[in-house]
Amino acid sequence: MKDLKHLIYFESLLDNADNELVEQAKKDGKLIMGYTCYHIPEVLLNVDNCVSVRLRAPRTGSIDISTYYMSNYVCEYARALLERAIEGGFQFLDGLAGVDACSMMNRFYEHFGILKCNTKENFFVTHLDVPYKTEDFSFNHMQRQLEVRLLDVMHDKLGVDVSDAQIRKAVAEHNEVCKIMQEISEMRKADNPVITGYEFHVLNLVTYTCPKYLILPYLKETLAELKKRKPDEKLPRARVGIVGSEIDDPEFTKMIEDAGARVVFDRHCFGSIPGREVIELTDDEDALPQIVRHYMRTSECARYIADEKVQQRRDTADRLAKEFHADGIIYEQMKYCDFWGFERALVSHVMAEEYGWPVLSIDRLYNAKGSGQLRTRFQAFVESLEIKKIQKGGKK
Amino acid sequence: MVLSTEILGIKNALAEKMEIKAKKAAAQGKPKYPNPVFWRCKDNMDWKAQGENLKEVGKICVDMFKEADIKGFCMKQVGRCKNDAARVALEVKQGIEMSPEERKEVFLYGERTLGKLYRKGDMVPVRREWRGAADTAYDFYRWGKMWLMLLTTFSRDLIPALNSTFYYRWMISYFCCVGFMDKNTSGQKGSALKMSHLMTYDIFRYVAENLVFLAKGDKKNGNSSQLNKKVVLFDEMTMGQIMAGFPDLLGIPYQLMPVFLVSEIDQLTCVPYIDAVESFGLPADTCPVPSSECGALVIDALPHMGSCFISSSMPCDGSTMASSYMSRRFPDLPVYHLTFPVRYEDEETTRYAVDDIKGCIKFVEDVTGAKWSWDAYFKQMKRFNEETAYELQKWEVNKTDYPQIIGPSYELFRKWNYEMDGGADPRVIKTFEKVNDIMMKAYEKREQAWRNKMRYRGIVWSCPAHYYANFSNWLANCWGIDILVEMESLNFTKVLETEDKEEALMDLARLYERMVMRRHTNGGYRNVVDEMWRQVEDWRAEIIIMYQNVACKNMATLQGVLDDTCRDRNAHMIWIEHDLMDPRTVSRKTMRDKVNEYMRTVMHAEPVDPTLVDFDDELGM
Repeated sequence: MKDLKHLIYFESLLDNADNELVEQAKKDGKLIMGYTCYHIPEVLLNVDNCVSVRLRAPRTGSIDISTYYMSNYVCEYARALLERAIEGGFQFLDGLAGVDACSMMNRFYEHFGILKCNTKENFFVTHLDVPYKTEDFSFNHMQRQLEVRLLDVMHDKLGVDVSDAQIRKAVAEHNEVCKIMQEISEMRKADNPVITGYEFHVLNLVTYTCPKYLILPYLKETLAELKKRKPDEKLPRARVGIVGSEIDDPEFTKMIEDAGARVVFDRHCFGSIPGREVIELTDDEDALPQIVRHYMRTSECARYIADEKVQQRRDTADRLAKEFHADGIIYEQMKYCDFWGFERALVSHVMAEEYGWPVLSIDRLYNAKGSGQLRTRFQAFVESLEIKKIQKGGKK
Repeated sequence: MVLSTEILGIKNALAEKMEIKAKKAAAQGKPKYPNPVFWRCKDNMDWKAQGENLKEVGKICVDMFKEADIKGFCMKQVGRCKNDAARVALEVKQGIEMSPEERKEVFLYGERTLGKLYRKGDMVPVRREWRGAADTAYDFYRWGKMWLMLLTTFSRDLIPALNSTFYYRWMISYFCCVGFMDKNTSGQKGSALKMSHLMTYDIFRYVAENLVFLAKGDKKNGNSSQLNKKVVLFDEMTMGQIMAGFPDLLGIPYQLMPVFLVSEIDQLTCVPYIDAVESFGLPADTCPVPSSECGALVIDALPHMGSCFISSSMPCDGSTMASSYMSRRFPDLPVYHLTFPVRYEDEETTRYAVDDIKGCIKFVEDVTGAKWSWDAYFKQMKRFNEETAYELQKWEVNKTDYPQIIGPSYELFRKWNYEMDGGADPRVIKTFEKVNDIMMKAYEKREQAWRNKMRYRGIVWSCPAHYYANFSNWLANCWGIDILVEMESLNFTKVLETEDKEEALMDLARLYERMVMRRHTNGGYRNVVDEMWRQVEDWRAEIIIMYQNVACKNMATLQGVLDDTCRDRNAHMIWIEHDLMDPRTVSRKTMRDKVNEYMRTVMHAEPVDPTLVDFDDELGM
């Protein structure tokens, strides 16, 4: 396929957390709000003059200092972020919205404060308590936490206008991005998609890490370009979906596609499902409770242990695999992630035995792109899917 | 064989009568514990299935016998006998060579060195310890009493209880529970020994009664549907206080006996579970507690029983996730997820916890048909408050220059009979009273908990290794490091509300949020780091035994800060790695070596018992 016009630019935006567009936003007088997790509603970090940046640690090398602080049996994403923070790589932030969702990320936020990784006078790190289930009282709890632990802090520390009107404005802008991303995502359902999994991953990541108002023009242009784009004649050898924990490195998706597969859906942290759904607001209720319900209901985080959420995760993976015509599912987890470690081990059996999907189950390091072992496993999985297809065809 | 409906009907009628009788007794203020109705629930064993199981077990035994190296075994026993004879001869010789004063000292106060009790390759010590005439006599008396209690308890429903051994390997590990008692009292004498025995007795009564109930309820075994209707299963370390309002129901900490507690008795119990779940696909870096529990589910090593299951998010991320394995294994068992807030210091979150408790109570009511009783709840909490007062008294004494209650029994008793039991068992308060009496008398006499061995005041931080539950005992015997308190003991001590219902639920939520491990590892680093230094100061600890469970992410993520603050204070902190329930990763010997090395090189100390510096207990229970 012909290269996308802005792909190289998008890739360059992912080379630094403090990228060109974030710098531009700072010059425009914006306040930069960092966050890492879907449990924090992204839209709330884009109210008034704030813009959200989902934190990554691109080009991570040594993580020795953070390993000293957090030990070596701990999520490398958390450690890589801390290393970057200690190096001063997150000095550009004006606030960090943390959730006590998993113990390792929580400790990253805490170290941010303990080690004084940001020296701005009004800089804050906030910690929200997030529920494990979606009962009515859980929604109320989450709403109260967001009010007290996030919005009030943003208002008190930085003078941000966190009124309902501002929240609705942020939602409108967020929805604009989501609509474009959804339209692009739909293209992945085609027999021969006009976008690769890698390209989609890059596009999606820039929507998380760049100010919305600055990235929107590029997204619009890319959508128009994709509508006219002609796919390669050769079909991918297999279509797969990814389900699991944090992947902020598009090279991971590229490695799968280099093995001959096409990644057609991304149900992982930093992916588009969930994350790029339009938030429907009604006028008869404040925006905040509606946002809370939206995020908690769409969340696919393994931390939700209530039975209905456990079932939701399995059904979502099954539904996506069907909708996107996947041949198999890759369950992945960041090494040392407790939530996805338990989830992956069990559900990879469930999806294979009860739902009948071919499943590849892997754990991986934060910097996984150089892993020969993973590459071999992807190649083997693609081959096994091909064989299954041939056998299926033979039976017909 | 399954009992006919008619016979079952008669038995049910009898059980109902018993229930009414027990309720009357309770109304008169003399409730029996456990509720006699639970014991009288009739079993419904499928004898045909038992026969088939026995046949299978028999086949396995025959195969094992055929494959065993009988000659090698016999040779080994001969070698052991020779070794025993040589040891006895040596001990007699040493006795003869002693001066009359030394002999008197040993006769009255016991042997000075304990390393000779361990022999390479043995699962148990070569003999019991000589503690001096009076204390050895007392020790044997308690040993006999323990056996009597165990036999009496198991005989209340002997067949299912013993039959469990044909289904579950963990039941076999309980046969060495008396050896566990010896390990926990090793080196103790006088008042310290008496207190340890009293507490250990209660621990094993709690264990034995729960084991019988597990056997009765288990569908593969006792299959008592009457009992199962009354049983509410609890996840892992979730405390039983919430059951105080349901006096007619039986709350059982489900995985406690088959996995958690037994791993403190037999270091090798959990190894097959860990291996099974890792083969299933679970990463090896997860905490061995939920891993073992999930492994036990994978190989069907947990009883199938109860009316419902209360899963919980406590104390850590791994524990949270284990509940989905439970649902997978027993899909028909109704589950309520009790999920307390993590940032518990924020009182804003307590309201959420109260709502969750209310949801849990309603769930239990709906599933079992029982009704929550505030009277019963307040009554139990009053007893629990009394127990809390006794616990605080122990702390006060141990903070003085004359600490009295040192050793693993103290911490284990607190965990099981105080926190987990939550004031349910009225017999425990009597033990509290007795222990308190002995402790205060010993304090008044300025007794030494470890005679002539006390050198350093120590505190334990982080979670201890289950497979070395008596490590504090070794620290005292070998190096004179007396562990005054452990992090896992320093939990919630507020007097719980016993009048206002809404405030009572708030207190209950606060209690659960601050349960063992959770109190420190959740809610922010200050609860681990700042709290440790506060406690070190409060207890005037000279040495910190800092456990490092290699898979505990909540603690591991603070190791740098702990080190930094330790350096700032120039404190003595000994890091001791372990893998909680898997001794293959870090052995007991390796744990001891960390202390030996620190004491020699940093403290320049000499051991109080050099024979305990290096010995082999790799295969010991």
